[in-house]
Amino acid sequence: MNKQLALEDAARLIRDGQVITIGGTLCQRVPAAFVREIARQGVRDLELVKPSPGYDIDLLAAAGCVRRIRSGIVSLEQPYGMAPNFRRAVEEGRLEVIENACPTIMASLQAASFGVPFQPVAGLEGSDIPKVSGFGKVADPFTGKEVYVVPAIRPDWAIIHVNEADVRGNARIYGSPVWDRLMSRAAQRCILTTEKILPTEHFAAQPELTIIPEVFVEAVVLARGGAWPTSSYPEYDVDDDGMWNYLERLRAPEGLARYLEESKSHDRSGIEVAA
Amino acid sequence: MSSSYGPPEMMAVAMARLIRDGELVFVGVNSPLPLVAVSLARRLHAPSSTLLSIGGGINPTPNKLGPATSNARLSVGSASVFDNVDFYGLVARGGVDTTFLGLAQVDERARVNSSFIGERQRPAVRFPGGGGAAAILPLSRRVILWRASHSPRIFVKEVPFVTSAGNIDRIVTPLCIFRKEKGQLVLDSLHPYVTRERLVESTGFAIKNLDGAPLTPPPTEGELAELMRVDPEGVRRVEFPARELSAA
Repeated sequence: MNKQLALEDAARLIRDGQVITIGGTLCQRVPAAFVREIARQGVRDLELVKPSPGYDIDLLAAAGCVRRIRSGIVSLEQPYGMAPNFRRAVEEGRLEVIENACPTIMASLQAASFGVPFQPVAGLEGSDIPKVSGFGKVADPFTGKEVYVVPAIRPDWAIIHVNEADVRGNARIYGSPVWDRLMSRAAQRCILTTEKILPTEHFAAQPELTIIPEVFVEAVVLARGGAWPTSSYPEYDVDDDGMWNYLERLRAPEGLARYLEESKSHDRSGIEVAA
Repeated sequence: MSSSYGPPEMMAVAMARLIRDGELVFVGVNSPLPLVAVSLARRLHAPSSTLLSIGGGINPTPNKLGPATSNARLSVGSASVFDNVDFYGLVARGGVDTTFLGLAQVDERARVNSSFIGERQRPAVRFPGGGGAAAILPLSRRVILWRASHSPRIFVKEVPFVTSAGNIDRIVTPLCIFRKEKGQLVLDSLHPYVTRERLVESTGFAIKNLDGAPLTPPPTEGELAELMRVDPEGVRRVEFPARELSAA
């Protein structure tokens, strides 16, 4: 079954008020073209669930697409530092943060992927996070020892940028899959953006390298350079000029609209090339 | 002070010295100085220590170090890819000896706030969040905190929110090293270019062992030479605000 869609059509799958998780980490292998397309389409009231967002939440916060985030750390990493548009949105009360640790988000996604209602988490002693974020504490029925638990969170969508996919949605990620393997199992459905579309035979030749199998995937978008200005190892690293340009543009009041317009042809070019 | 080193070199060397040979050491996101320090220690006194990088590699051998420590290039040269889920399982079952973690604020009882100041729903200041720290601090056998800045707004009497607390061994700053003793931060050593008056002015709580603490031994010629080989491009400097580099 051919699941290939144009970027604009795939982004229309995301509806106001849905819960999403986004692959990659900080400024590494973020499905950035898709994130920008969500912003162009003006999707509202999303909840982002992700242990370590960066460029994605910064842009979505600037665009007002997200009303709540569950995360462990939000950063653009060095040398760019903290995500300034995320910070402003939270400090102005436009974006609610449900404070987590990276492994508590992981555990919520694991519970969803295992089909169980909650998941125990190791650690957290001495932290105020369980109290403010509504985690539970239960006695282990076998030993009586107390353990923190977090609820299952099943996102509506996992949006993941991959190196290679076929049109059916089998995908390889080179380098670390970060959290993406888990995200693909936890979400209801996955949307992939991919550097390359290759025949299914390529994946069948070494099926153990397929991180995401087609059964989880709703749509595949050809997006060459689709992680830009974040990295997609091994094809390209973080684009330093692209990151500074992004930060500079968004300092002006109308900067986001201009940035989204300027990046539109880059983002939508994958399909034109394919056609 | 000597022109051969400044706060970035002092911190990188001080952090490297804290790594023990044979340890499994984790370097997470947003951690340029720890990446340099572990790479340095492995070429000096701790060749049998293992670097586990959040970039996915075990003892990776990238052709150069860069400022982004979540970069997948930190799996180059590794014989396996060790992803985030692998790491959090390992630390939860007690498999990590030493972890480096950053901080936004820390108080005299060694409690870390990396979350926010003020009302949760509309904070006066939003910080990045603690990453995995809330889970790692009680679970990693030893945690070394670092911050490339030292001021009374960072080293406070009492944090307004506790993101994480636990097995803190040392805190390394541009001015000094603290250790944790009986639940309190105690001055371990003062860097050679810092006066005790300056440390007092830069810290928001009364410093224990202020007069008794020795000076941190300055970086040796050998340590500095190896540091330049490990980090020729100066990744160790990227975290420093300009004032910390000029004030030394």
